[in-house]
Amino acid sequence: MKALSVAALCLLLACAGPAEHVYPGPRTPLPEHGATAEDTAHKEDLRMVPPEVYMRTYLHLFGGLAPLDVQKRARAGDGAALFDTWDDYVSALGFPDYRLDVPRQTQTNALMTATFERLGVALCDRALEHDLKAPKGAQPPPLGERLVFAFDLPRTTVDVAGFAPRFDVLHRTFLGYPASLAPPERTARYFQLYRDIVAGHAQADPKSRFSPEEAGWAAVCYGLVRHPEFHLY
Amino acid sequence: MPSLSRAALAALLLAAAAAPFAVDAESAPPPPASRTLDDYRHFRISAIDLLGRMPTREEIAAFERSDFDMDRWIDAQLGGPGYVERLTRIYMDALRLEPNVDFRTAPAELYRHDVLGPDGKPVTIYYRENQRRERPETDGEFCLSPDETGVVIRARQQDQGTPRKVTQKALDQATVLVKPWWLYRDFRTRNPVQRYGEGWKDPDPQYKPVESLLDDAEGKPVTEVRICREEAGTRDTGHVYASGRVKPLPKDAKLPGGRLRPPPLDRPYATQHQGQELACDTKMALDYAPDCGCGVGLERCVPGDSNQGGNAFYYPNHMPLGPGMPLDDARQQVQRWFPYWWSREAVHFLDDLFASDRDFREILTGKRTFVNGPLAQFYRTIQRSNCCGPEASFGMLEEKEPLFDPHAVPADLEPHDVSTWKVVENRGPHAAGILTMPMFLEKYASARARGAALYNDFLCKSFVAESQQLAPSSEPNLMVRPGCKTCHATLEPLAAYFARVEPASFVFLPQGDFPAHSTTCKLDRNGHLSGACTALYDPAFADASGATLRSAYGSPAHADETPAGAAQDITRMPEFASCAVQRVTSSFLGRATTPDDARLLEALTDTFVRSGFHMKALVRAIVRSDEYRRSNNLSSSPRLGTSP
Repeated sequence: MKALSVAALCLLLACAGPAEHVYPGPRTPLPEHGATAEDTAHKEDLRMVPPEVYMRTYLHLFGGLAPLDVQKRARAGDGAALFDTWDDYVSALGFPDYRLDVPRQTQTNALMTATFERLGVALCDRALEHDLKAPKGAQPPPLGERLVFAFDLPRTTVDVAGFAPRFDVLHRTFLGYPASLAPPERTARYFQLYRDIVAGHAQADPKSRFSPEEAGWAAVCYGLVRHPEFHLY
Repeated sequence: MPSLSRAALAALLLAAAAAPFAVDAESAPPPPASRTLDDYRHFRISAIDLLGRMPTREEIAAFERSDFDMDRWIDAQLGGPGYVERLTRIYMDALRLEPNVDFRTAPAELYRHDVLGPDGKPVTIYYRENQRRERPETDGEFCLSPDETGVVIRARQQDQGTPRKVTQKALDQATVLVKPWWLYRDFRTRNPVQRYGEGWKDPDPQYKPVESLLDDAEGKPVTEVRICREEAGTRDTGHVYASGRVKPLPKDAKLPGGRLRPPPLDRPYATQHQGQELACDTKMALDYAPDCGCGVGLERCVPGDSNQGGNAFYYPNHMPLGPGMPLDDARQQVQRWFPYWWSREAVHFLDDLFASDRDFREILTGKRTFVNGPLAQFYRTIQRSNCCGPEASFGMLEEKEPLFDPHAVPADLEPHDVSTWKVVENRGPHAAGILTMPMFLEKYASARARGAALYNDFLCKSFVAESQQLAPSSEPNLMVRPGCKTCHATLEPLAAYFARVEPASFVFLPQGDFPAHSTTCKLDRNGHLSGACTALYDPAFADASGATLRSAYGSPAHADETPAGAAQDITRMPEFASCAVQRVTSSFLGRATTPDDARLLEALTDTFVRSGFHMKALVRAIVRSDEYRRSNNLSSSPRLGTSP
């Protein structure tokens, strides 16, 4: 009983002590280093294209294939390991998994974007092979049957006048409107990208499986599937 | 080369557009001046939301034509597969109707085990756990005794003993050969010949038994399966069996057949009702009737490929674009087979609701649904085998008023018709939209979970606890207990609607046999409820005069109204319409709605209710609204001038 009373007294004394400051403030006010205006503009999260839409768009763009066929085509046999299997990417793509109670990712994130980019890049290569790169002794498919690159490919590097209408085809395909309504620098920037890649590939050693011109158009395709306007809506 | 000036680029583009350049045979004429960037973007977001994909070049070309009518285009997409998938996705995301639990129903599940045959080679035998048999050596156990096989065989357990050869006589007495439904399309005929992949050359592409069900260990096609004789019974009605064993054996008594646990004793019910008829697709049949088996072609059972349950069929783990476009194809355990189809039933139900533009209130009140072969098998027989256990003490030996009336199941669906879906217009008087589907009832296993799902998903309300310390309390009524009452005053009456559907099950307890307040179940002198009563009635709400049905105390009236009453009550609340509008609007705007959207939501709710709760009217109004048009986060603002 005596021990209990002592313990109770100790507890009371402990409670009566001064409040403990876990994070003591500075002894003197911090000096001002500058002032910035508060940004009061309305903020909204960016809206991500739902993964189902991405998927259906890719399936449509790349020839109306089933997902497992897309996986096969994206993996191909070129050793580039651009794509693994859908199962590896399901959660990275933002799909929900009701079975595990994993909810849908409603906002964009870097992992999701990067995953779709990876697939897009793989499919750009495959589409280019289908549309522009005929096997020896054969002709590429007619324009109406081309999946993405629905234009003819001159044997030589195009100039900006030749580039712009072809770029417009890709621009409409991926971003949904004519390049003429885009910011005016866009075509020039993509043309610059095309030219740089063509030049780089001309000097590349060992040689790529794509010709410099083909590599240039593939790079334009990569740029468009990575464009923020493709990912957001 | 230096970058081009804006003027030079514009001149070049103009020249390029004017040149006779073969870009695409299908390319459209230049866009008319009236099409702005925002018009294109509105078209793109509408395509994403209504077609389920970005627009193609051809669709953009059509949009650019001067005769293109955006309103007519929107109307044409409403009801299309993209629109239907979009709306179903909203509610599947909210309800998450795929179980993360297995569904194990003992009377339906077949295990299999190898024994050493007379020639020393393994013989695979299918059996059910706890099957009643007349031989005391094997009653309630595997059909060959440990003395005959050398091992004690039990489902999901390691074998005990050393295998020895089974004699041909013992094998023939205890087992039979059957051509089962999973191997033969024509399993109902006297001599089935259409075996999967052989005579049956065009099986449903989504019906894929695992290889281990199709081939034996040496890779040879299985043409018949060996199964314990009792399990192979084909009768629809069996008889209550009493063994005459009523007293436990002495502790040192030798157990028959080398079994490790004594054979089961007769329960009072068996003694009292010996010889009485019993439906074979009930839980009672497994407990009392050795002459009840799995039916013709074993149609009342589902196979696993091992003694652990094992794998049964292939189906995808992920198919966000539907079963026709799976992302994978995986071997699945037998316990997942029916939950997979319950989930598909929910999707079909929602798809039909939106495709046919039915009154949206049917999501809770609708009586119709869709079933395929496995679901027909489930609702015809396997659902029934969930009942009855404690209910038998109240006189309910088999389900009297099932949520899904087995007679409503189309007769021409076989268990392997997985892609054939048929409408069932009326599941039965207690059906209530999604609320009485096995998927909802298993996902939300308790009455409270079911009530909370109703509150969250269809009234858009959440339970937020008040900031109050919980004091120890013995008050069983959570509607008055301090700290609990804030939520439970609302939750308990909602839960009461589900008091007549057993937890983690779909057995319906009819009012006639199970009154909300029973005067038969009451506390005895020692303050206890009897065992049978405790299973279904709540001792915390019992006294010497009676007891309340579990989960019903929040509102006995709601318990009698059942989920169908909940559906009527909830859909009459003004919050039901506004919640649906808020949920769909938020999804189409791609953000949570805010108080700034109040006027829009009010107008949309008015449109929705005036239309008779038709979703197409709501979506049409959303997609045509200025708010939706402005919702894309890449408007033609000047800041885009710096983007690539």
